[in-house]
Amino acid sequence: MQKKAGVGFYIFLVIFVFVIMFPFLWILLSSVKPLSELFGDEAFTWFTSNPTIQSYISVFTIRPFHLYLWNSLVVATITTVYTVFVAAFAAYAIARLRFKGKPLILGVVLSVSMFPQIATISPIYIFLRNIGLTNSHLGLIIPYTTFALPLSIWLLVTFFRKIPFDLEESAKMDGASMMQTYFRIILPLAVPGIFTTAILVFIAAWNEFLFALVINTAEKYKTVPVGIGMFQGQYTIPWGEISAATVIVTVPLVIMVLLFQRRIVSGLTSGAVKE
Amino acid sequence: MAKKGLSDSLKKERRLGYLLVAPSLVLILAIAIWPVIQSFYFSLFDYQLNEPQKSSIHLDYNLDLEKYLNNQPFLITALEDEIETAPSEVSEELQDIKSTITSFDEELVQKDGIEGPYNEVNDILFNFEVPSDELKFVEIDRSFGEEFEQTFGSVEKQLVELESEDALQNARRLTGLASGLTESIVEPNFIGFQHYANNLTDVRLWRSLGNTFVFTFVSVGFELVLGMGIALLINKAFFGRGLVRASILIPWAIPTAVSAMMWKYLYDGQNGIIAKFFSEIGIIENMSVLLTTPVGAMASVILTDVWKTTPYMALLLLAGLQTIPTSLYEAASIDGANKWKQFFRITLPLIKSSILVALLFRTLDAFRVFDLIYVLTGGGPANSTEVISLLAYKVMFQQTDFGEGSALAVIVFVCVAIISAIYIKFLGSDLLGDGAKD
Repeated sequence: MQKKAGVGFYIFLVIFVFVIMFPFLWILLSSVKPLSELFGDEAFTWFTSNPTIQSYISVFTIRPFHLYLWNSLVVATITTVYTVFVAAFAAYAIARLRFKGKPLILGVVLSVSMFPQIATISPIYIFLRNIGLTNSHLGLIIPYTTFALPLSIWLLVTFFRKIPFDLEESAKMDGASMMQTYFRIILPLAVPGIFTTAILVFIAAWNEFLFALVINTAEKYKTVPVGIGMFQGQYTIPWGEISAATVIVTVPLVIMVLLFQRRIVSGLTSGAVKE
Repeated sequence: MAKKGLSDSLKKERRLGYLLVAPSLVLILAIAIWPVIQSFYFSLFDYQLNEPQKSSIHLDYNLDLEKYLNNQPFLITALEDEIETAPSEVSEELQDIKSTITSFDEELVQKDGIEGPYNEVNDILFNFEVPSDELKFVEIDRSFGEEFEQTFGSVEKQLVELESEDALQNARRLTGLASGLTESIVEPNFIGFQHYANNLTDVRLWRSLGNTFVFTFVSVGFELVLGMGIALLINKAFFGRGLVRASILIPWAIPTAVSAMMWKYLYDGQNGIIAKFFSEIGIIENMSVLLTTPVGAMASVILTDVWKTTPYMALLLLAGLQTIPTSLYEAASIDGANKWKQFFRITLPLIKSSILVALLFRTLDAFRVFDLIYVLTGGGPANSTEVISLLAYKVMFQQTDFGEGSALAVIVFVCVAIISAIYIKFLGSDLLGDGAKD
């Protein structure tokens, strides 16, 4: 940390950030080009001289992009709230209570988070089809549990472990019951960790593709990743609309990342680093 | 007294612990573990959604009462009509057939649990309504099922023979009804490990496994080396650190499908800026190479994955680097160790477990890759980027062959289990280390 950064270092940084951001930059520039400039020689000019928001308009008028956004929002939000709620209890118990079989439980949680989705999809699909839940929000929330719950438990356990144990001891001395200790002492201290977990689970649910592709095939229930992934034109691929849609979903993410980057990084690395 | 109090509170704590963990475990068991077991079970059957006879799994013979009752009485009537007009020789044979069918029908009704549904379905059909699947399918035991097949098989054969001798007036009707009867029995579609045997001898499976391994090793390899380099470089105080970190997170945060679509545009053979750039600096011959040749497509897929996940890898490694106390490096440089020596003697050993954890997560993610390839190349050209998850998806949802698709899914599962086992062996119990008091 003491090393001083030189000029060469900053040049490297600029190049590095440019390479990473270039695709977004190009998509942003393409999204305001008129249709005719997306093809042929003009496809490679950086700035259009006739910027237009036509692509943004047709994303919402020709395609039901607002429905995609709504579906993704509903599914990701409910998945996040319910899995983090259920996981908070389990994680508290695993991190702070004494009972047998904890390594086994944690091992199961970790293994399940490694399950390939494809290995669970056929029975889940058959089950949802039989009870009539394909093409519904619930039809995605149920299978999303397979990755959201283990992820929540895993992250929350590491956060709960960081809360000093003395607090619990003194609460117990003062005669608080275990549930009181949980709700009055531990939970308030765990709020930042829970929030971080919620962000990561939300992103995971928002980005999920395979279940959404297979289970919600009706246009009305598609989520954003599937919606954009399946954008098709009659004759050509509608790059303008794809660019506009990409910008629309990327902007909120950029804001979220800028606001919460510290939390996201701490969440991403919490399971991976021994302290 | 004090001791008893302690063990009481311990017991209470233990009970509370199990109680709090229970909902999560039940959910995980029901929604994640049970489906994997079921996938394996499905893979033992010839289970095809769009073939009526195979659209569910059954270990036993099943009789489709709707089909049976829609054919049997009419076959009897048709036989009676035929018997009246046919020459005596033929009519005798038909009489035999008729009595076989009626006596078999009597035998059927006497079987356990058949009579109820039999009459119910008959009533429903009589009212021109459609019986439910649950009602119309009745299980019958193996020996009776075989007898059923044999009896009606031979009836059908006899009628077809008579038809070929031109001995029947309404031959078409008779043979049609007879074949309807033979079809009303549904054979068990349990086939054991047949799907595995077929798959493991199929070139397509091995090619897709090969593609998956190439993709996994090359992309994770690049990500590790590049991620390490970036982590080492930005592991220092500098102006704009937050901004760099945020820009690193953005590729990770956007949906893979969306980034795949984005890159598809950049790689496009006519309008793609990256394709244009690569062809102008001479990496590729012409712009269309990227998505239309096998090597180009695989390289494109890998490049996109490297772009999307190297920053993530760098972050994980950076977090590991930041746990190394700087005093170690100071001491080492006083002792005269150069930068390389410091890297190999201090940095690497101390972040070994960070590297392994990052590698474990990335390898598994890469091995399970689906959305990136589904959107970017669809597995093409000529299946050159078809990975194993994509193959399983195609078999299940495009060919609607759930039996074979499930077998492929189980193969993916086994591969993932093996990869995890190898990593966890290296990691030891580090991963599950219990920081709590025990």
